[in-house]
Amino acid sequence: MRKLAAIIFLSLVWVGGFCFSNSDISLPASKKITLVFHNSIGKEELVLGNRTQNILGENMTVQKFKYYISNFSIIDLTGKSVVLPVQYFLVDEADTASKIITLTIPDISFTKIEFLLGVDSMRNVSGIQTGALDPGKGMFWTWNSGYIMAKLEGESPLANAAGNRFTYHIGGFRFGVNTVRKISLAVTAIQNNEIHINADLNQWFKSKNELRIAETNTCHTPGPLAIKFADNYANMFSIR
Amino acid sequence: MRFTKAIWILFIILITAAGWVTADNFIFKPKPVKFIVPKGWPQPLYDFSKNPLTEEGIALGKKLFYDGRLSKDGTISCGSCHQQFGAFNTFDHPLSHGFNNSLTVRNAPGLFNLAWQKDFMWDGGINHLDLQPLAPITNESEMAENIETVISKLRTDKEYKIMFKAAFGDEMINYLRMGKALSQFMLQLVSSNSKYDKVMRGEASFILPEQLGYDIFKKKCISCHTEPMFTDYSYRNTGLPVDPFLKDMGRMKITGNPADSLKFKVPSLRNVAVSFPYGHDGRFFSMMSVMEHYRKSMVIGPTTDSLMRNRLPLSNFEIGQLTAFLMTLTDSSFLKDKRFAEPGFENNGKAPADLHQ
Repeated sequence: MRKLAAIIFLSLVWVGGFCFSNSDISLPASKKITLVFHNSIGKEELVLGNRTQNILGENMTVQKFKYYISNFSIIDLTGKSVVLPVQYFLVDEADTASKIITLTIPDISFTKIEFLLGVDSMRNVSGIQTGALDPGKGMFWTWNSGYIMAKLEGESPLANAAGNRFTYHIGGFRFGVNTVRKISLAVTAIQNNEIHINADLNQWFKSKNELRIAETNTCHTPGPLAIKFADNYANMFSIR
Repeated sequence: MRFTKAIWILFIILITAAGWVTADNFIFKPKPVKFIVPKGWPQPLYDFSKNPLTEEGIALGKKLFYDGRLSKDGTISCGSCHQQFGAFNTFDHPLSHGFNNSLTVRNAPGLFNLAWQKDFMWDGGINHLDLQPLAPITNESEMAENIETVISKLRTDKEYKIMFKAAFGDEMINYLRMGKALSQFMLQLVSSNSKYDKVMRGEASFILPEQLGYDIFKKKCISCHTEPMFTDYSYRNTGLPVDPFLKDMGRMKITGNPADSLKFKVPSLRNVAVSFPYGHDGRFFSMMSVMEHYRKSMVIGPTTDSLMRNRLPLSNFEIGQLTAFLMTLTDSSFLKDKRFAEPGFENNGKAPADLHQ
């Protein structure tokens, strides 16, 4: 009987040892940070379905606003870039949960956060994906393989198209028509491990290029127009 | 005391047995299938390590391929427009029939030797075999279905649950798995057993017109219709003027580059005799009309292929011999292979009665 008890005790110790060795003692210290995305039109919060005006004074009602965020890295105090494991997120104005992204990062101080707006070309040529990249999310072109990096849709009395709709589906990953943009944001103060990032829709219409709804109501193919939009949305992010 | 001991032993046995009975005894062990590269062929481009072939995966892919529920009205399957007796093209149809009396805008290409193909469709718009089925499923003039709806239809089906579990380890049904299973089936469609192949393997010999045709072929056709696939998978303008109704600009639709205007993928000539009509929009009724086009009716424009700028001079004699050679590319064992046949139609694979030559 004693022998049995000893065996049980020893095996418990042995199993316990496994539990310890599996814990993250050997891993470098890490912490979680939360990125909170806010979408706005200038200083005004974006509300889907509300009548508003863009920076060019054009009346509009935004109905959809979605974009991919991926490939995060942080820049430490010495300027060294720490690349985080590759992850893809679809930020969708219509889905509040999608606007909050939690990342696990090394427990170091950092001055900048960098990421891609869009889906890198590698992922565009790797077959079907799941999760945020699932083709069922409506952000994938089936007739010309590739992701829609960002999507903005709505109505405007100035849009000369069916239903007065403007439809901007911006994509293209190949050389020459690439719409993925690298975003680099200086991070000054972080409270409660939260970083608030603002995306200003106005930049779509007036930034590097001026794109009026009255003149351009539709974009749904890779090419020069998509590039113009991409060069514009490259400037839409700022730290709040 | 002895009695207590016996009870304890019985109790332990009972517990163990109960545990065994209630546990999920499903052991995920699909049977691997080896992909055989025909002798003398290049290595396939498809990355099998990301989608290992298994008997269960192939069986699931075949069921999906022949399932009309992938379309909006439940009647159009992949197999509706990709018929085995036409080397998986739409037999004797310039354009295929889609949802609600619609017609497609291009001729359905035959499906075979897909593991060696890099891009898909006449314009090369699709860059991975796993993604290809999403295009016809969602196209309004083809299966016209929403991909979300397809998945939810499959999820309600008991048989699919069992088959997805057998192929992938659990009952989860998603696009990724659907696409992979369809690829596994389509990758099986290897056509490498025509008379031409037998001659190359030293198992048969050409009769004189076939041999003469092969010699002419090697002089005049082979730079684009490269052996052993009988295509180099490039995009070329071979002087087909744009159809005023279809207004199909081909590869330019994908690249946006005017230099790609009116360029379409070079089709393989394997099984060419059974895959009429020809051309990206099926405008050529017969092989004869294709050759007439090459020697007489080509429209030379700024993007016409440099090899074809003087059209392709062919004498009547040459056309006759070439036709004899092209007939040797028909792989009847592929066209009748029961493994690929629509369930219930395994014995119906027969040479079509009406060949357009």
